[in-house]
Amino acid sequence: MALPPDRIDYLPINDRPVIKWPNDARVALWISPNVEHYEYQPINEGVRNPWPRTPYPDVQQYSYRDYGNRIGFWRMLEPLDKHGIRCCISLNLAVLEHFPEIAEAMMERDYDYMSHGIYNTRYLYTCSEDEEREFYRDCIDTLKRHTGKPLKGMLGPAISGSVSTPDLMAEAGLIYHTDWFHDDQPTPIKVKSGKLISVPYSVELNDSSVLRDNHYSAAYFADICKAQFDQLYEEGAESGRVMCIALHPFLIGQPHRVKHLDDMLGYMMAHDGVWQTTADEIADYYIANYYDEAVAHAQRISQGQGS
Amino acid sequence: MPAQRTFGMDHPHHEWSPVINRPALQWPNDAAVALCVVIPLEHMEWQAPPGSFQVARLSGGSAPREFPDYARLSHREYGHRVGIFRLLDVLQKHGIRATIAMDAMTAQNYPYLVKHCQDRGCEFIGHGISVSRMITSNMTEGEEQEYIQASLDALGKATGTQPRGWFGPEYGESDRTPQLLAQAGLTYVCDWTNDEQPFPMTTGEQPFFALPLMYELDDVVSISQKLMPVFDYERMLCESFDVLKEDGATTGRLLAVNWHPWLLGQPFRIGSIDRALSHIMSQGGVWPATGSEIIDWFRQQST
Repeated sequence: MALPPDRIDYLPINDRPVIKWPNDARVALWISPNVEHYEYQPINEGVRNPWPRTPYPDVQQYSYRDYGNRIGFWRMLEPLDKHGIRCCISLNLAVLEHFPEIAEAMMERDYDYMSHGIYNTRYLYTCSEDEEREFYRDCIDTLKRHTGKPLKGMLGPAISGSVSTPDLMAEAGLIYHTDWFHDDQPTPIKVKSGKLISVPYSVELNDSSVLRDNHYSAAYFADICKAQFDQLYEEGAESGRVMCIALHPFLIGQPHRVKHLDDMLGYMMAHDGVWQTTADEIADYYIANYYDEAVAHAQRISQGQGS
Repeated sequence: MPAQRTFGMDHPHHEWSPVINRPALQWPNDAAVALCVVIPLEHMEWQAPPGSFQVARLSGGSAPREFPDYARLSHREYGHRVGIFRLLDVLQKHGIRATIAMDAMTAQNYPYLVKHCQDRGCEFIGHGISVSRMITSNMTEGEEQEYIQASLDALGKATGTQPRGWFGPEYGESDRTPQLLAQAGLTYVCDWTNDEQPFPMTTGEQPFFALPLMYELDDVVSISQKLMPVFDYERMLCESFDVLKEDGATTGRLLAVNWHPWLLGQPFRIGSIDRALSHIMSQGGVWPATGSEIIDWFRQQST
């Protein structure tokens, strides 16, 4: 595909190398709570207003999100622990510095982490390339310092990015980017140096869009997650699929919602062919086993020689 | 021009014709309902060119965001990579051939999809340059002619046949679009959502028809904009069909839907389409057809 931004080769899902997940799992299932902090008095850089409702602070909206860290996170852990879920946290890295109990709870559970920026109120839109390079160094160092883990991927802060983001991520040594919603499998992203892939996150199965933006019920959220799972589980018998459920503690951790998280996790985890994993592991596995094959196959497709 | 408070329409594109005044429309084999599934394969551009027009709430991603909006572009691309195959599989299962509204950027850059849709026996109709550039009255007549011709040329070149139908991106028209489409050699247009039967348009050119889509059954309208739960959408499809089938016993009805592969082709939505089509196709009395087949039949009936 020769269209801007020219990052992703066209690869139709019905004509590409078969993916086999570990233990012949049909679905690689990753759960990604967004553990975030929104600043009380952020700087509005003029591209996107962090608190558009009022002059700063907006205490209603600020504290609604902080509820996630004080209450919702802890309630959300109950069903996650009950079903043995090892999460891949989409992390505003400053949370590690502000809220040590949350850091400890995540480390106790051996979660993985992708960067979701430093704060959810600091975007990448206006960064120069050097500022963005410094941003990745900060994310990598902060995660290493607090958890001992290497940073492997990113969901852009509040899903923001720059034109150079994939190149700069790869240059910094990151291997996956989750701001792309074009597929049910990982796919290579073209970058100037190194290797970068997309791991499917979700803008559809995401409590922020489903429950907050679009006003659906949590029961509906559970129903569509189950329906998604059923479809991917069926298709995954032929070639492995990825399914992500994105959560926000201030939303899913509300008292009236948490039972629906329990319900959907119980449903999915009762199936044998599930690889409950993290984006870190999916990315490592895909790059080791399928990256080169996918790139070669995309070449054949673009030359009209699909298999 | 403001309406003049006289009989009939306040534009020259078609006559006033309430359904009660028309002769009965017969579909082939006395079907009560003709079913036409239009699938737009449309490209959303990374950066729309200066001066191009997009509707304010053009769907996709989490919400329209600042540039670069990786989320929205890639969400749309899901239709081309994944969703289209799920949707076409379900249609094939129920014996339905799609009418593919393909824009120029898709036709030029996705030869795999062109061939795939040809292999499935789909009809191709013009769908503009990209979903990021819709036709509006902001265009001059010359710009609009050029836009239509470029769209048709790209599609004709990619498919090897000249399209007979047209569906503007986001139903976009100026006040002269039907005339320009007819002048370009087209036979029908899907932009008008005002009927349950095809109807002739008065373009002053060769015979030219409207193939009306059902506005409320457009998945972007109901699911993406009105936020209808997909299970309610499924029920709405079934209930719409039930009434059309009943009404179609007197005079044939058209059930024409616009289904986006990036939206309905998502794993959790496709089951609803499968179930709704099972309901529709299991009852008999349905004629699944492409846009041209329906218009050709209608034209033969009405002459």
